Amino acid sequence: MAKRKKPRHPLHVLRIISQLVFFGLFLVLLVSTALGTAVTARPWLAHVFLITDPLILVGMVLAGAFTTALLAALAVVALSLVLPRAYCGWICPLGTTMDIVDKLLFRKRDRSKNIAPRLRQVKYALLTVLLVLAVFRLGVFGWFDPLCIVTRSFGVAVYPMADHVAKTSLVAAEESGIGAAADIYDWAAGAGLFIRDANFKEGARGIGYPWSFTFAALLVAIVLAQAYQKRFWCRNLCPLGAMMGLLGSVSPLRPRVSDKCVACGACRKRCKVGAFEPADGQERYRCLVQECISCYACEREFCPVDAIHVGAAAPRVRPAPGVLPSRRAFLGSAATGAVFAPALLLDQRTRNKAETNPMLRPPGAVRPDTEFLSACVRCGECMRVCPTNALHPSGIENGIAGLWTPTFVFNIGYCEYFCGITKEDVEQERLDKPANLCGMVCPTGAIRQLTHAEKIAHKIGTAVFDHSRCLPWARGEECLTCEEQCPLPDKAISHRYEDVANLEWLAMPQPERHRYEELEAKESLTADERAELDAMPPKSKHIARPYVLRDRCTGCGTCENVCPLDGASGIRVERLQTREIRATSSGGP
Amino acid sequence: MVHRLSRRTFLRAAGATVCGAIAMPGCASDTGSPGAPGFRARAHPAADEWKNRIGLATGGDDPGRNARTAIEKLCGKDGVRTFVKDGDVVVVKPNIGWAQVPEMGATVDPAVVATVVGLCLEAGAAKVKVFDNSVGTDAKCYQFSGIEAAARQAGADVFLCARHRFRKVAFDDPRCKRLTEWPIYEDVLTADVLINVAIAKTHNLCYVTLCMKNLMGTQGGDRGKMHQELAQNLVDLNVTIRPTLNILDATRVMVAGGPSGGRKDQVVAARTVVVGTSSVTVDCWAADPANLPWPKGHHDLAAVEFVARGAEAGLGTADADKIEVSA
Repeated sequence: MAKRKKPRHPLHVLRIISQLVFFGLFLVLLVSTALGTAVTARPWLAHVFLITDPLILVGMVLAGAFTTALLAALAVVALSLVLPRAYCGWICPLGTTMDIVDKLLFRKRDRSKNIAPRLRQVKYALLTVLLVLAVFRLGVFGWFDPLCIVTRSFGVAVYPMADHVAKTSLVAAEESGIGAAADIYDWAAGAGLFIRDANFKEGARGIGYPWSFTFAALLVAIVLAQAYQKRFWCRNLCPLGAMMGLLGSVSPLRPRVSDKCVACGACRKRCKVGAFEPADGQERYRCLVQECISCYACEREFCPVDAIHVGAAAPRVRPAPGVLPSRRAFLGSAATGAVFAPALLLDQRTRNKAETNPMLRPPGAVRPDTEFLSACVRCGECMRVCPTNALHPSGIENGIAGLWTPTFVFNIGYCEYFCGITKEDVEQERLDKPANLCGMVCPTGAIRQLTHAEKIAHKIGTAVFDHSRCLPWARGEECLTCEEQCPLPDKAISHRYEDVANLEWLAMPQPERHRYEELEAKESLTADERAELDAMPPKSKHIARPYVLRDRCTGCGTCENVCPLDGASGIRVERLQTREIRATSSGGP
Repeated sequence: MVHRLSRRTFLRAAGATVCGAIAMPGCASDTGSPGAPGFRARAHPAADEWKNRIGLATGGDDPGRNARTAIEKLCGKDGVRTFVKDGDVVVVKPNIGWAQVPEMGATVDPAVVATVVGLCLEAGAAKVKVFDNSVGTDAKCYQFSGIEAAARQAGADVFLCARHRFRKVAFDDPRCKRLTEWPIYEDVLTADVLINVAIAKTHNLCYVTLCMKNLMGTQGGDRGKMHQELAQNLVDLNVTIRPTLNILDATRVMVAGGPSGGRKDQVVAARTVVVGTSSVTVDCWAADPANLPWPKGHHDLAAVEFVARGAEAGLGTADADKIEVSA
């Protein structure tokens, strides 16, 4: 192994500081904006990494779902034009996560033989496929966009999981009599480090999401792939990296290898992203600007003869051979995208269900659902800021293309009536401000911002009673919890008293029921007969039965959430009828 | 080939196992085993004698002053000192159930809470805690109701309920007919004095919600399951958890759309605060359409089942004529 390393280039030190600062910023924003805390005033804090993502910008332009907020990504485009892939080396939270894990786990691992230069072409192929899919109006590139990955994995998986483990450990310690644990718990809760578990249904501690295991596992796979190559994802797969590399082709700033090079290959072995390779037909190495992430480790640390210098040079725009896939491979991936797209769209479920049976989408989600599928990048922002943990990544209920798009799970949370506005806003009637946190943080406008007035009028769906489960309907027991908690000033659930079958009477043996009816039919009863009748349970009960007032109901799901039945609720929110969608002001056709 | 377990590998595995082991029991149970004693008002010589007595203050524009006056009417010049002693830990449990501004009459007027907190601190309480297990999204309710800010300013310790600090309490009093146990917030069980501060509203299931139902804010668990035979469940709860003082804030009365509300035109100013040691007696007075502006034909006193059943259980009186009002 190397002796004491040569001193670092000052920009290398600066780069590490930058990585830590941006990663810290990412984590601080992640923690401080979870479940909507602190987002109300400055929603951009929650999605600043996403709106500066050039892949989302390009993808949304191609998908016809451009919004002006995405122009912020031009700053990163400009950066990439000057410093190729500096974003990857200096800013990207996913890249920093990889570097940290690499330092912790693989520091001593010899990976110098794992070069596999052709593998790095995969990212261009992937980029091509995803952009072709975007042209077909499928925003599925968010599955592979590194910032969507890191938002989803940290926001919807790692943080909630860490939060859960921290809380359960402290609770266990507190319950076993360690007083300090309670103090730490209160301190952490007060400092906003914990995700506030709102008063969800019984048993909830911390918050959770379906798919969070998958999101965590994908992150783990990405960082552990470094066992084979450092920054395996960045080298070989990252579509955003591919795009930035191409932009960086025009950059004059790049590491150059001078004539002093003795072709020892040290740079190739040590470069984090394998950006060095032997120049064709020459006894020296060259640096591939499309791969270089401007980490500034090479100039002083790798080269034994000081042949590498980072500095200005006339750009050689045309990538070196072997960087990009062959024309054949490129056309092949474009064709793959062009075949996948109709396949995904024609997937029985996507096309049919998106139109006829869309999922319960966040308030402000663009309609029809096929439009939503093109504008949503599946980043999970809306899910992690939803103050009641009601939004969750969907599965493939609506087809593969709908995977990880947001949908409501009302058994877990509900659409908060006063979501994005404060007491002061209500008191001073400042009701024209954006009021849906999910819309405020959505980087692409797939969920539009609604004012409070729009939000409370927006129909997500309609609640319907399941008469085979609802307690007053199915069992003749009093309840009305749904009506009690309907948040609308003019409640969308009402009730009336009705005579309903008494199950206790029905449970009597048939002769007794006959006897009951016989006595009941008599015009006058003797005292004994009266006593006999009174001793039997009455045939019917007079109880309040709830009804949904469809025109008032907005489908916020509070009723479904608070229904005291275990398992499926006795009242559930269903999709709107088409005519109801037309009737709602913020719905669109 | 012999695999040897390196120290590093071993430590990692051991570390992970220990962390897991610590985390697991926490995941397993929510509330511990039942049996913690319910909260009983600390014995006061007059408590039983005062069971049918209420203090009443009405009129004026200062709900805080009404609260102070009503307490003095009940207790005499000692006021809240009758119950709160030096160094006591006091829990004030207002209705912070809904995310509505005070004018909507869905939550207790912040001035009433602030006054009660102030009186307890003046009486020498070491600590006054203010919290509610809200029905709506709790942080929103605390903010919108204005109670968090007002109580904190008055010197109270205001906090959101932590999900794991509900303790299973056995409802083992023979008068409990339906409930056998329920998780109750720890701080209620360990307090020296519990002051229940409710607001007067209509309720879709039980006509009105007053002091007895307000105690549901001390409960954890799935409170939707309280709504089957609600009246008896409330009696079971009030038998088990006995507040020292029950204060009913009728500064505003929500006369329709309860208990969540949200329309100012459903709120009537009644400028009244009622205080008693018995939640049943206070509710009996307050549920009576003769005393508060309940809409005509909405209900009569006899229809309010939880009051009748509460009186049967000996918690107070359901007979309007037996209430001794000191106004």
